[in-house]
Amino acid sequence: MKIGLFLGCNMPALRPDVEKGIRVSLASLGVEIVDLEGAACCPAYGTFWSADEEAALAVGAWNYSIAEKMGVDMVVQCGSCYSTLKMSRHKLINGKLQEINEKYLSKVGAKYEGKSDTKHITDFLYNTIGVDKIKSSLKYTMKGLKAVVQVPCHTIRPSKILGFDDPENPQVLKELTRALGAEVPTFTRDKQCCGGAGGYARHNRGAALEFLKLKLDSMKEEVDPDCIVVSCITCLMWMDEAQEEMRKLGMIDYSIPVFDYNQLLAICQGHDPQKVARIAATPRDEVIAKILENKV
Amino acid sequence: MPINLKEERDPELVKQIVEVGGEDLLKCYQCGTCVADCPTGIADEPLSVKRLIHIAKLGLAEVLIEDESPWMCVTCTGCEERCPREARPFEIVLAIRRWQCLEDETYIPQALTEIYERGHTQNVVNPMREELDLPEIKTVATREDLLEKFRQLLRETRVVKEHGYMFGIMEG
Repeated sequence: MKIGLFLGCNMPALRPDVEKGIRVSLASLGVEIVDLEGAACCPAYGTFWSADEEAALAVGAWNYSIAEKMGVDMVVQCGSCYSTLKMSRHKLINGKLQEINEKYLSKVGAKYEGKSDTKHITDFLYNTIGVDKIKSSLKYTMKGLKAVVQVPCHTIRPSKILGFDDPENPQVLKELTRALGAEVPTFTRDKQCCGGAGGYARHNRGAALEFLKLKLDSMKEEVDPDCIVVSCITCLMWMDEAQEEMRKLGMIDYSIPVFDYNQLLAICQGHDPQKVARIAATPRDEVIAKILENKV
Repeated sequence: MPINLKEERDPELVKQIVEVGGEDLLKCYQCGTCVADCPTGIADEPLSVKRLIHIAKLGLAEVLIEDESPWMCVTCTGCEERCPREARPFEIVLAIRRWQCLEDETYIPQALTEIYERGHTQNVVNPMREELDLPEIKTVATREDLLEKFRQLLRETRVVKEHGYMFGIMEG
């Protein structure tokens, strides 16, 4: 199976180890990754969408035209990229496609016919690959570890445009994490947004930190997890780095390691943790050591 | 900030917001679901789409132009999902941002120029790639010819045409 890996901006710029985790874990599942030659920013909601919607659609169509020319659908980890790419496609195939092709893409010899689509990586892993295949690729498991999941908002809402899971009670990331052998308990603020995306932290950092603290306190007090599993670069960086900031500020006195799902999958498949899970503000060594004790 | 009804009204305001994508604004019946659901609810001055819609309907353009709360949106789209009137509050947040950018270009996010400059919001070629045995990045970041084509496409857009100097494009 061949997919186009849409990198976005944050992952290659700041967390290339996540990109490594995705590449090696998908390869272990028999997926062939194609690099999208000439892809650009998705673009994020805080950029062209906030100033000129047609420009946002033109950039979205540019990215799709590349995938379509290469004959692949795109798979993406970043929640923001996923949401904007799905939103672009939705608006394009429901009326703007011809106009955007004529006004913008045709000027640079590109074209998008509306064929190529985007899948979030958790959708791809759960619905295209399947948990049985994931389980049979494991050399180690998360047996004995308690993991909570942070489902990226951008992958469940607006459900009519981009949904592949129950928007009020999402299960895909939980099932994928259970497939690694972890226990996945629920807690009161299970479904709360992390608060890391958009302009919240930039415009009111104190409130954004307080908002995250509500969620972290809830999981710590109620289930005391060994780690948080995410599948969005913003959830990952925010929940990991803001924790460190809150410890320094004296807002919290605990530490909960945060992993991208594909980092854990790659470690469980026997890939080198130094390559697939190198960068973190909140130390993750204990969780990794525990996984490596659980040989299948 | 309290709403001052003595303030000058602009009867065109709602129409202007609708034109830039807020077409479902008139469906809002001010129930407040969007406020109850918003992650910014714990901020001193939360983002209230309900309030922004009210301001727009009253025609208080001077108030709306000063209000930076739309830029605090987390883009979680909880309001969009749960609005009982399907007024699409998230689309309204984006529409108000666009209106603000049209009225006052200092609202245009710096990130647009970054994307024009290198195709991404930041430098995506991390020097750690080699150590991690990652393949070369093949986006516009490393493909000068494709980056030029991408810029050419952006030069066709209204926001770049109208604000060329922001993107380093000289007149003529």
